Amino acid sequence: MKKIVSLMLALVMFFALAVCGQSTAPAFAAAEEPAPAEEAAPVEEPARETDAVVVDTCILLEADDAMINNYSLLAVNPEAPWVDADGNPVSDVAINTVGAAALINWLLSEEGQELAANYGFEEYGEYLFYLKDDRPVSTAEIPAATEENRLIRLSTTTSVNDSGLLGYMLPIFEEKYGYEVEVYSAGTGKSIANAKMGNADLILVHSKKQEEAFIADGFSCVIDGMEAERLNWMYNYFVLCGPSADPAGVKDAADVKAAFAAIAEGKFPFISRGDGSGTHTKELSLWPEELGITAEAESFKDYTDWYISANTGMGACLVMAEEMNAYILTDKATFLTFVANDGVMG
Amino acid sequence: MGSSIRKAVELILSADPELLNILSTTARVCLSSSILALIIGVPLGILFGAERFPGRRVLLVLNRTLIGMPPVVCGLLFYMLFSGVGPFRHLHLLFTVKLMIIAQVVLITPIIIGVMETFVADTAPALRETARGLGFGRMKEYRLLINECLYSIFSSYLLSFARAIAEVGAVAMVGGAIAWKTNVMTTAIMMYTNRGSFTLGIALGLILLSLSLLVNIILSVMQGRLSR
Repeated sequence: MKKIVSLMLALVMFFALAVCGQSTAPAFAAAEEPAPAEEAAPVEEPARETDAVVVDTCILLEADDAMINNYSLLAVNPEAPWVDADGNPVSDVAINTVGAAALINWLLSEEGQELAANYGFEEYGEYLFYLKDDRPVSTAEIPAATEENRLIRLSTTTSVNDSGLLGYMLPIFEEKYGYEVEVYSAGTGKSIANAKMGNADLILVHSKKQEEAFIADGFSCVIDGMEAERLNWMYNYFVLCGPSADPAGVKDAADVKAAFAAIAEGKFPFISRGDGSGTHTKELSLWPEELGITAEAESFKDYTDWYISANTGMGACLVMAEEMNAYILTDKATFLTFVANDGVMG
Repeated sequence: MGSSIRKAVELILSADPELLNILSTTARVCLSSSILALIIGVPLGILFGAERFPGRRVLLVLNRTLIGMPPVVCGLLFYMLFSGVGPFRHLHLLFTVKLMIIAQVVLITPIIIGVMETFVADTAPALRETARGLGFGRMKEYRLLINECLYSIFSSYLLSFARAIAEVGAVAMVGGAIAWKTNVMTTAIMMYTNRGSFTLGIALGLILLSLSLLVNIILSVMQGRLSR
């Protein structure tokens, strides 16, 4: 027993030492890794300091109508033509339609809309999401949760989750009506695939093409009081970002397509999400058609010297673009969060 | 590295409720799965090591293959089976801690079987001779064997605990990394990495490693005492 206690104490002391060493004497860190520290530490340290503070990547092109980023809500249809992994039809898939309708009605109610529209101003000095003028509005009464429909599974895209919008809005909804919302967050492609496997009650995504395919396949339904399956309620803009030096001159491009053509023309590095997300889908639609860039790896195998298919999240891609002085298409909300945290996405 | 260590300590000191939730979920998942795997794996491992029966070699080869199963494949399999359209949909287990534990048990049990089998196969023949010579019955023979195995049981547990706490592919697939519910340390690290918050990712990694260190110290002390 004594042994255990003394070992634990030793561990705690080790940590305490590490903390004190870190905050008071920077030499402590150097002592841990003696070899590289001796040669590189004095030069490297200050350089890294300045890098962390100044984000060079900046918004070069924005508010172009071709770069509008529409977010839509779609309720999952319990009667959808479900098929299992082998393509055999499955009939009794449990979908919480009541819960999905409650959440949609709340998001489209006056309270929900106001929360969404005002989000981000305090923190970033800019609104991150705007409400569509022709958005569907709900005045339906929202029923309180019951034992069967308490759990709502929302499959969504990373941008609404990572920007903090859902973390800000959902607790208010949960508190008021007693539901519990489980947020599954992934790129739009994966989010929709997750819903098609019967693992979501509603989706909140941003890729019109994929949403329309989802509806055409019969996976979405119209909830009471709404006119269509696809409830396009808020938007923001994608922005084309890149190094402040802007070697491709996209700042002066006539429009976003011309900007993308200039990047391809000069073979300036471009980071693509490459993960089937909404941002990826949008980016693919902006390249000059003759390049033939699609989601297939085959289609950009001749451009690998400048076209980088990163296959990762928006934040990680932004870090990569910053490191490589590359151009990148991103949603504005994530970019503002990235810059506000000095390029580390706290 | 320095800023990550500072961040890690800040996180612990601030007792951030989300971090505490992630930690408790992690503890629940990897303690339950490693103990369950131990309960299933040790008897099977001893059986495979001590007994000779038809099909044993085939089973051993299969077990060794399962040891090498990529976690993400295991996760994908369970995701498909327990999906809304999968054959086990009525159990409503996808994206729950329970299914994460089950998936990890499937991943870890073969490791325990493998470790125990190797040890027992080495020890059993000599021990059996002694036991027979002393006129022990079968039950007594096994009790002696288990007594002899205690040290390896601990070793195999340490191995399985390490696998459970370090594993990310399976828990990410079947758990979905849902905040406040199925987000564990490794999936949280992956999430932060995807977001580009590398410092926070490393900070969580440091916390995870120190916890692992703590558990290992405790278990090693116990191992030393029990097997003396």
